[in-house]
Amino acid sequence: MGRKPNSDIELAGPFRLIIVGVTVLALLALFVLWRVQGPRAETFRANITDRIAPALQWAAAPITWAANVAGDFHSYARLYEQNQQLRDELRQMKAWKEAALQLEQQNARLLDLNNVRLDPKLTYLTGVVLADSGSPFRQSVLINAGVRDGIRDGWATMDGIGLVGRIAGVGEQTARVMLLTDTNSRVPVTIQPSGQRAILSGDNSSLPPLDFIEDPSVIAAGDLVVSSGDGGIFPAGLVVGKVVLTEDKRLRVRLEAQMARLEFLRVLRSHELDPITSTGGLLALPPIQGPPAPTAADLGPATAVKAEGDEGASQ
Amino acid sequence: MIDPVTFGLWRGRLGFAAIITTLIFIALLPMGGEAGRLPGPDLMTCFVFVWMMRRPDYLPLWLLAGAMLLSDILLMRPFGLWAALVVLAAEILRARAVLMRELNFFMEWAVVSGLMLAMLLAYRFGFALTLLPQVSLGAALVQWLWSVIAYPAVVLFTGYVLALRKPSLGQVDAYGRRF
Repeated sequence: MGRKPNSDIELAGPFRLIIVGVTVLALLALFVLWRVQGPRAETFRANITDRIAPALQWAAAPITWAANVAGDFHSYARLYEQNQQLRDELRQMKAWKEAALQLEQQNARLLDLNNVRLDPKLTYLTGVVLADSGSPFRQSVLINAGVRDGIRDGWATMDGIGLVGRIAGVGEQTARVMLLTDTNSRVPVTIQPSGQRAILSGDNSSLPPLDFIEDPSVIAAGDLVVSSGDGGIFPAGLVVGKVVLTEDKRLRVRLEAQMARLEFLRVLRSHELDPITSTGGLLALPPIQGPPAPTAADLGPATAVKAEGDEGASQ
Repeated sequence: MIDPVTFGLWRGRLGFAAIITTLIFIALLPMGGEAGRLPGPDLMTCFVFVWMMRRPDYLPLWLLAGAMLLSDILLMRPFGLWAALVVLAAEILRARAVLMRELNFFMEWAVVSGLMLAMLLAYRFGFALTLLPQVSLGAALVQWLWSVIAYPAVVLFTGYVLALRKPSLGQVDAYGRRF
């Protein structure tokens, strides 16, 4: 062995062992703290991210610009093909536009006749995507709008066409959007036209599956999936995507939003949600209904007097 | 006048910090990373092992723990768990630095691959223990496989671009001691 006696002193002494042990234990303790105090730890994370986000913004600008130029060049190469495609689509859209105008007028008349009061239109603000989650196993993006722009946790986020995700973590200038494909994302949805309720639960794949469907037999591939508004987090009726049946015999959703290239995101201003301050308790069943508990009057005068005496003592 | 040994020491440390910063920055760039794609290699862990195998004195504990904790925070991982595993694995190597210096490259590659796999399993065990949702084992193993494949490339990069090599015979450290 080529051991030099004096080179091992700082490499493997008992003192070194203690320092390493303390560091590892401290990091593990931090992990446990993160697990127990989830929301508070995520607020801390949002604040740290907030600090470095401006630096990220200017440093990333030239690189994203170069990537966009490369992408544009690629699409320039098949300009003719795209032109034909667009002409075709335009022709179809003109027919649809006519139909939509007629339907809109009819709808307005019917609403007027019925005296229906609709929800006020949701207002929104648009943010630019600053950063990815940075991990292949987490699906979220960072946008350049935060508390100072009035953004709150839980608000729905769209990309102009379809639902993208929800705000999960806000800093002063930035907010994190948890995408529908993240493993932590659960969104209540309605499937049109059957009206079935389901939960869209992200699983880190590009086609998130539908869970808790009451009757899968009435759902066909191609059905429209919209948010249901259950749970009071999201507004109802936001377009999510279309149902697809994959090879593993599961009903999944092809998202309408362009998840591959998120650039501008629209955050829908919603009502003030209760802030999440704890990790949440267990969902227990309500106590089983039985005969009403005996009151003091039922038990006799002795206990009633005692109860009164207790009250007097406490006052 | 800075003596060459101190210069090398701080060049090695700053080089590591610069590489970790760059890797975090690249990971955060909003350039795709669509759900469902197969994950690439975990280059950060590769660089940690390359440094530990070549010059453990260039990667002090505080720098390693700090860099890994920062990447945990910025890359949306649970705080501390991956950092703890990286520190543990790196310190296991540091304690055996004398032995590691004498391994040939293929043995080194095997040791690093084994350690990475152990870290991956421990990480998943930690997730399971705290009831966190985790990715499929397949995706995690794909990432491990990519890291194993990427390791020689990282070694070549640090060897030729950053000139980080194992200390040669008779080289001395900052206190004039021989390695």
